[in-house]
Amino acid sequence: MRNIRRGFLAGLLAGLLLAMLNFVTDGTPGRTLPNALHWFGITIADPTISRFAGFFLLIVLGGIAGLIFGIVQREGMITISRALLSGLVLGLVWWLVFSLLLTNIMNHASSPLSLQFGMVLATFPIDLLFGLVLGAIYYQLQGHPAPAEV
Amino acid sequence: MSISSSANDRKQIAVTRAKETGITTPITLSERSITGFALIRIFVGYLWFQQLFWKMPPDFAGLYSYIMRESQHTIIPGYGYILQHTFLSGCTSLHTATGCTLFVPLASGVWIAELIVATSLMFGVFTRFGAILGTVLAAQLYVGLGYSDWYWTYGMLVLLCLALTAIPAGRRLGVDQWLAPRLQAAASSNRLARFASWFA
Repeated sequence: MRNIRRGFLAGLLAGLLLAMLNFVTDGTPGRTLPNALHWFGITIADPTISRFAGFFLLIVLGGIAGLIFGIVQREGMITISRALLSGLVLGLVWWLVFSLLLTNIMNHASSPLSLQFGMVLATFPIDLLFGLVLGAIYYQLQGHPAPAEV
Repeated sequence: MSISSSANDRKQIAVTRAKETGITTPITLSERSITGFALIRIFVGYLWFQQLFWKMPPDFAGLYSYIMRESQHTIIPGYGYILQHTFLSGCTSLHTATGCTLFVPLASGVWIAELIVATSLMFGVFTRFGAILGTVLAAQLYVGLGYSDWYWTYGMLVLLCLALTAIPAGRRLGVDQWLAPRLQAAASSNRLARFASWFA
């Protein structure tokens, strides 16, 4: 049970980071946040409410991803290698599901797997970063950060 | 300098030793401080990452007007001449890279360097290397655009990257957390690992 709680907290924090990264965009702050609503076919006319709803949805989705991460890790301590690697895999799955499949489906693209260089560059590293940070926070929450000499 | 969960114990020992020997007290970063620095590192990396999108390949068109401005307003004598005979060699237009012979290969170098800085800082992979490269790129921007923009804009970017060079911010929420202990362990027997360990 502790691993699930730890995963959920790590997911919420990583989701918060993802939402904050989506807030500091070029142009209007948070202009890409409504994309998260769009994955589920939700449209809110008011742009401010839409951005705030997108911000909170990303945190909630992060929490759910963290729950799954915690369940997969099972009880017991995990190593930093495993935490980071599983985090990167989770980030890849997040990218495949949300940034690729759901985005293409909701935008009526020619194929659910259609790729564009600009879109991949804009989403892939950020989604991987989300997973990596989730894994790293999960490891930190175990309470044994390895000392490192400078 | 060291980062450890038992930071308080170490601080106590360090302070006692310093009192006895008169040596400067070593500074220890707490978990909160280093995690805070890790978050700053991610956002600085994201800053570099976002700037890739207005000068995308294959033509890197967005960069052209900036190189042109740098060649005209640089604060170092002779730097404009270098730009005109490298990036802007053969260019016939003030607004587009028409006729330029070296613009695309050199601009691709700039773009790749910025991608390396962004990846290194966001993921915390060889963070100090990314921060040093970021410092060089930001210093170049300061030299070229210091006159035409608010002069502190690029100065602040230089200082941010310098701060991330000094502090091993990749060792929390980054790949360096995994990389650094392994490189340090191998450093005693391997010269390359010793060299690489400084960048993690």
